[in-house]
Amino acid sequence: MTTVAKPATDEKRASRARQSARLAEWLVLYLLSILGAILISALLVTATGGDWQSVVGALFDGSVRNPGRWGATLGAAAPLLLVALGTVISARAGLVNIGQEGQLAIGAAFATYFGFLIGGPGSVNIVVLLAFGAVGGALWAGVAALLRFWRGVPEVLSTLLLVAVAGQAVAYGLRWQGLLLAPAADRGNRNQVSEQLGTDRRLPVQTIFGNSYPISVYLSVLAAVIVAFLLARSIWGFRLKMLGRNPRAAQHSGVSQNRYGSAALMLGGAFAGLAGAAMLAGGGFAFGNFQLVPGFSANIGWTGLLVALVARERALICIPVALVFAALRTGSGFVSSTGVEGRITDVIQGLLVLALLVPPAVMFVRDRRRARAATTART
Amino acid sequence: MTDNEQLLTGAGEWEFSPAPLVELRGICKNFGAVAACDDVDLSLYPGQIHGVLGENGAGKSTLMKVLIGLVLPDSGTITINGETCTIHDPLDAAAHGIGMVHQHFSLVEPLTVWENVALGDGGKLDPDAVRNRIGELGDAYGLIIDPDARVADLTAGLRQRVEIIKCLRRDPTVLIFDEPTSVLTPDESQQLFKSLRTMVASEGKSVVLVSHKLDEVLRTTDDITIMRQGRVVDRMDTSETTAPELARSMVGREVSLRAERAALGHIELDVATDVVAQPTVTTEPVLTITNANASGPGGQRLLDDLTLEVHPGEIVGVAGVEGNGQRPLADLLSSLLPLDNGTVAVNGNAVSSSAPGAMSRAGIGVIPEDRHDSGVVLEMTVAENLVLVDPQRVAKHGVIDHKKLTRFAEEMIQEFSIQCSGPHAPLWSLSGGNQQRVVLARELADHPKVLVAAQPTRGLDVGAIEYMTDRIREAAASGVAVLLISSELEEILDVADRIVVMSGHRIVGEMPRAGVDLEHLGLLMGGANA
Repeated sequence: MTTVAKPATDEKRASRARQSARLAEWLVLYLLSILGAILISALLVTATGGDWQSVVGALFDGSVRNPGRWGATLGAAAPLLLVALGTVISARAGLVNIGQEGQLAIGAAFATYFGFLIGGPGSVNIVVLLAFGAVGGALWAGVAALLRFWRGVPEVLSTLLLVAVAGQAVAYGLRWQGLLLAPAADRGNRNQVSEQLGTDRRLPVQTIFGNSYPISVYLSVLAAVIVAFLLARSIWGFRLKMLGRNPRAAQHSGVSQNRYGSAALMLGGAFAGLAGAAMLAGGGFAFGNFQLVPGFSANIGWTGLLVALVARERALICIPVALVFAALRTGSGFVSSTGVEGRITDVIQGLLVLALLVPPAVMFVRDRRRARAATTART
Repeated sequence: MTDNEQLLTGAGEWEFSPAPLVELRGICKNFGAVAACDDVDLSLYPGQIHGVLGENGAGKSTLMKVLIGLVLPDSGTITINGETCTIHDPLDAAAHGIGMVHQHFSLVEPLTVWENVALGDGGKLDPDAVRNRIGELGDAYGLIIDPDARVADLTAGLRQRVEIIKCLRRDPTVLIFDEPTSVLTPDESQQLFKSLRTMVASEGKSVVLVSHKLDEVLRTTDDITIMRQGRVVDRMDTSETTAPELARSMVGREVSLRAERAALGHIELDVATDVVAQPTVTTEPVLTITNANASGPGGQRLLDDLTLEVHPGEIVGVAGVEGNGQRPLADLLSSLLPLDNGTVAVNGNAVSSSAPGAMSRAGIGVIPEDRHDSGVVLEMTVAENLVLVDPQRVAKHGVIDHKKLTRFAEEMIQEFSIQCSGPHAPLWSLSGGNQQRVVLARELADHPKVLVAAQPTRGLDVGAIEYMTDRIREAAASGVAVLLISSELEEILDVADRIVVMSGHRIVGEMPRAGVDLEHLGLLMGGANA
C-alpha cells in the first residue's frame, strides 16, 4: 500500500491542473460570448441611428451613477433574486417551472387580500402579508403540482398556461370591492386598484448615501444563502438532486416523487409569491405605489426565471446575476433620453441571456463528447 | 501461420477458392488514449464459419463495426475480393456483400414480418414478392417463419430469424453475427447454428460469429481469431484446439476457477462433481412473493401470478430467456413496480410495493440489470452514490457531514477495490465494472436480508465477474437470501443452489442445482409446460 501514496498525489496534482484548465476554458468562453453580445448590441444601437457610447452612459447613469439609482437597482434586484431562488429549487428536482409571473401575481393578490382582511398592528401585518404572499404563490404552483403528479400533465405547460389565468384572476379580483378593489373613496380616478398599504404596513426602508431600498434586499440575500446551504448540504437537498437527475434511482432509494416533487414545485411558487408580496410591501422602483394594480408583476417573474437560467441553477450565483438584470431594468428608463428606444435594453437583456447560455452549452457538448469518447474507448 | 497453411489445415470438406473473400490488414482504431483495435488482421474465407472470440472490451465489436462501416479505422486496409476499398457506412458494406445481424434487434414491433423485411426498400412495394422471398429463404436455410405474423407476438428467437432474413435477402457473401445466442434458448441456439452451417456449406458464404462463449465457438466454427485488449493474440483451427487452450489464450492466463469458466460459457454441465447437494431447507423463507400480478401502462402482463420463496443463505437462480418477466421481477423488488395484487413479504412482514424505497427499507438490496436506469446517478459523485439509499448514515440533524461522507466513501472504495480518482469523482468517470462495484458496495453496506442480483456480471470482464460472483457467494454464506436473475444459464448453474425458471412472466418450474436436468431446463425456458 505504501507505493500507492505517490501516484495518488500525482493524480491529485493532475486533477488540480485539469480543473484550472477547465476554469480558464470557462472564463474565455464567457468573455468571448459577452463581448459578442455587447458588440451586437452596439451595432444595433448604431444601426438605429443612436450613439452607443451615450447609451452605455445612460445605462450606467440609470442603474448606479445618478443619485439614488443604485438603491433603486437593489430594490429591483430583490424580487428577481427571490423568484430565481424558487426556480432553482424546482429545477433541482428536475421540474421546469416557468409560471413565476403568475405565481408572483397571485402572491401579491393574496398578500393584498389577507393583509387587509387580517389587519393587526403594522409590524405583525407585514409578516402576515409576506406569509400569505408565499402561500398564494405556493397554491398557484400547487395546481400545476397536482396536475403533474396526479394526472401526469407536464408542469412546463401547466405553469405557463396558469400565468394567463393568474393575470385574469387578479384583474377580476380588482373589480370587486369584496375581493381586492379599494373602496370608492380611495380609488381616485382609477377603477382597478387595491387599497394602498398604510405607512406602518410597509417594509422598512434603509437609506444609505441617498439611496433607499426596502429591507427585502437583505431578506432575499439571506434566503439565497439558506437555499444554497440546504441544496448543497441537507439530506433534503440531496434527495431533491437525486430526484432531478435520476427519478428511478430516487424511487428505489425511498424518495417519493409526489412528495418531493410537489414540495419543490410549490416552494418555487412560494418564492415567487413572496417576491410579489415583497414588491407590494416594499414599493419603490416601478412596483407601484404600495397597491395592487393590473399588470403589477411587471415581468419580474419572467426576468427572475432568466436569472436562474443564467446562474445555471446555483443559488449564490443568482445574486450577481439578479443585480445585472436589475441594473439593465433601472438603466433602461434613462436610455430613452438618448433618443434611442428604451426597449433596446430588452434586446440587450435578451442578447446577454443568450450570451451567458452559450458557454454552458458549449461545455456541455464538449463534456459529452469527451465522456462518450472515454466510454467508447472502454467498451 | 500463413494463409496457405491455414487453407490446408482448414476444414477441407468445404470447397472454397484459395483467396480470402475479405481481408483486413493492420486495422487500428483509437478512442482517445485507448486502442480498441491495434494492428488487427483478419481473413475471411468462403465456406467457413469464422469465430471471433474475446472478453468484453477486447475489441471484437469495434473490429466488426469497421467491417460494417459504422467505424472508420485510423489506419489499415480492407480488401474485398482482391480489391482494396473503403467502407464508409453500412450501405457501402451492403454493396460489397457484407451484412450484419446485430445483438440488439431493430424491428418495428407493431408491423408484420414481411413489412419489417421490406422496410427501407425503395420504389413500388410488392407484398407477395416479399412474402415469397421470405418463404424461399426460410426453406433454404431452415428459417421458417410466418410472413404475416406480427413481430410483437414473436419470441426473441423468431425475431432473430426476421433479422437474419432481412440480412439474407440482400444475398450477402459475408454475414456477421454479434453475440447471437444471448437472447436464445439452448434449443434455439442449436437451430441457429444449423442454419449457419447451411449458409456456408451450400453457398460458399462466409460467416463471422462474434462471441465470448467458448463452447459455442468450439462447436460451431472452422477457425478462430482470439482478441485481447485490442490485439489479435491467437489464430487457431477449431479442430485442433480445446476449451482450456482457448480460455487461456483469451484471458491471458490459466483459467481455473469455476466462476471464470462459467463466465466464458464453458462448464461441464453434466458433471456436477463439486456441487454439494444442499440439505433440505428447513428454515423459514426470508423473502416470500405470493401470487404477484403486475401490468404495464398498456395493460400488458409484466408479472403473471408469480410465487417465489428465498431462504436465508440460499442462492436461488432465476433462469430464463430475456424478456420473460425478469426485469419486472427485479423492478418489483426495487420498489419500481407496484403490484396489481399479490404480496411481497420479508421475514413474514408484508412490504408495500407502491411506497418508494419500501423494499430497500425492508432489507432488500438490489443490483439492477441496468445500473444507469435505477442503480446510480451518473452526475453525482462516487461518495454520494454510495449513500443514495441511506444518507442518514453520514448526516446529523438532516445535514450531511461531508467529512463523514468522505470517510465512509473512502472505506467503501478500499473495501470493494473501486477504481476511481477519489470519493468525489463523478460516477460517470468510472468504468462499468467499477460503477457496478459502487452499486454492490452500497447495497451490501446496509447488511441486507435479501440481495437481488439481476444480470450482475453482464458486460464485465472475467476478473470483474469473478469478483462479483465471489461477493454474491460470500453474501449467501453470511446468511443473506440471494436471488440471482440471469439469462446466462452457465452463470446460474455455477452459482445457484436452487434454480427456478421464468417463462411467460411467471415461474414455470423449479429444480435443485444438484439434480439439474438440462434438457428439462431448456424445455422450460422455451415455454414448454412443466
